[in-house]
Amino acid sequence: MSGFITSFPTTDQTAQVFFILLSSLLSHQTTLSINTFPNHIAEVELVRRLRAKDRAALEYLYDHYSAALYGAIFRIIQKEAISEEVLQDVFLKIWDKFEYYDASKGKLFTWLLNIARNQAIDKTRSREISKDRKTRDIQNVVSRIDNEAYIEQRVDGIGVKDILKDLPKEQHFIVEHLYLKGYTQSELAEEFNIPLGTVKTRLRLAMQQLRTTLGVTTT
Amino acid sequence: MNIREYISSGILEAYALGELSEQERSEVEHHLAGSPELRAELDQIEQVQEKLLQHTAIRPRDAVKTQIFARIDGLAPAGKVVSMPSSDTTMWKFVTAASVTVALVSSYLAYNYYDKWKSSQGELTELMAQNERVAGDYNRVNQRLDKIESDIHIIHNPAFKRVALKGTPNAPASLAYVYWNEDTREVYLSLQEMKQLAQENQYQLWAIIDGKPVDAGVFDAGIPGGLLKMKEISTGATLFAVTVEPRGGKPTPTLETMQVAGPVEKG
Repeated sequence: MSGFITSFPTTDQTAQVFFILLSSLLSHQTTLSINTFPNHIAEVELVRRLRAKDRAALEYLYDHYSAALYGAIFRIIQKEAISEEVLQDVFLKIWDKFEYYDASKGKLFTWLLNIARNQAIDKTRSREISKDRKTRDIQNVVSRIDNEAYIEQRVDGIGVKDILKDLPKEQHFIVEHLYLKGYTQSELAEEFNIPLGTVKTRLRLAMQQLRTTLGVTTT
Repeated sequence: MNIREYISSGILEAYALGELSEQERSEVEHHLAGSPELRAELDQIEQVQEKLLQHTAIRPRDAVKTQIFARIDGLAPAGKVVSMPSSDTTMWKFVTAASVTVALVSSYLAYNYYDKWKSSQGELTELMAQNERVAGDYNRVNQRLDKIESDIHIIHNPAFKRVALKGTPNAPASLAYVYWNEDTREVYLSLQEMKQLAQENQYQLWAIIDGKPVDAGVFDAGIPGGLLKMKEISTGATLFAVTVEPRGGKPTPTLETMQVAGPVEKG
């Protein structure tokens, strides 16, 4: 395909035609896979199919989890283009290393989230972009995030603020920084002079409270 | 191990966030395998965490998905997400090719021009030298022309008396003319036919005033250049004569070496 392109010295139009073809081809595949894949499948089945390198299973995974993971990545990185790059790398890694997922050690989403956060944190370290992160200078994209209208997949229609509103102030602070502002526990402890043990127990208490708010019940 | 205490330390939440050290992590995993209670607790924490993140999800641009699956299908290289995937790489190829071409052409032209510039530089130096020579020649010619003009002016000036000095028996073929302006006392000598002397000798011109020889300067034969300006001679000279003297001349003439001589015509 690329040979086809290079042999045509290239007006923008040739390139455009090519990409229209390419994207229609890809979207066609997407439609097919959705048709052959149920709307909801059990995690065990999803894991089995991902382990078997089922491309449609990865698409299902992407459709269900990419936004949650992208949110976590973006909150750490704060820059749209780099966050998109990281999300790509995360899904490539998930696809390539899926045999390392061990269900006995945790849920699938936990594993995905850990990969995403680690990848994002590595990126901030390699690019030194974490420096200005905490200064919170309001860039366009950041303000888009702070705007609640941009946060999607609110299945039950409850906003994040509503979810956290019942938490005591100090627990609210911890959850907000860990899950909404992209801090790690040790960064939080260091930057705000809170002992790491306190960060952990406050998070523990907050997560217990959130079980009620979010309607999580014992299985 | 007290499971309640272990749980309340918040270690499972940190585990779910992926923030434990390798050692703590394998410790938790070890306990998980042997404690259904711990497993159930973790399960609830994970559910809360997942719901929280789903509530705070941000939908990435559609192009990201396209790019990811293009990479998985081996169609696209890793890289930034652009609205038209891989148009970048295609364009870059051409941009690169164009840059390389421009660089090569420029280098060739630069070398070429450098070469031309160098030879031009050489030619220019040569031309400048030539120009200087021509200018020098011109100046010399100009000076000679000036000299000839002033000589002609002297020769044709009626204020100058022309005295023909003819050869004595010492040098019968010799001939010279003296141009003398009695008012300005200027004396010019024009050599027509005077043989070359030995290096240690020089001709000396004398003017005879009231029967006494007066030195009018020394000169050499064989030097081109028109009229020779000699020493000034005041009124009263009746005769001009040339003797051969040692180089630099003498206060009194050696009469027996007289070469040419001629009387000043009255009037």
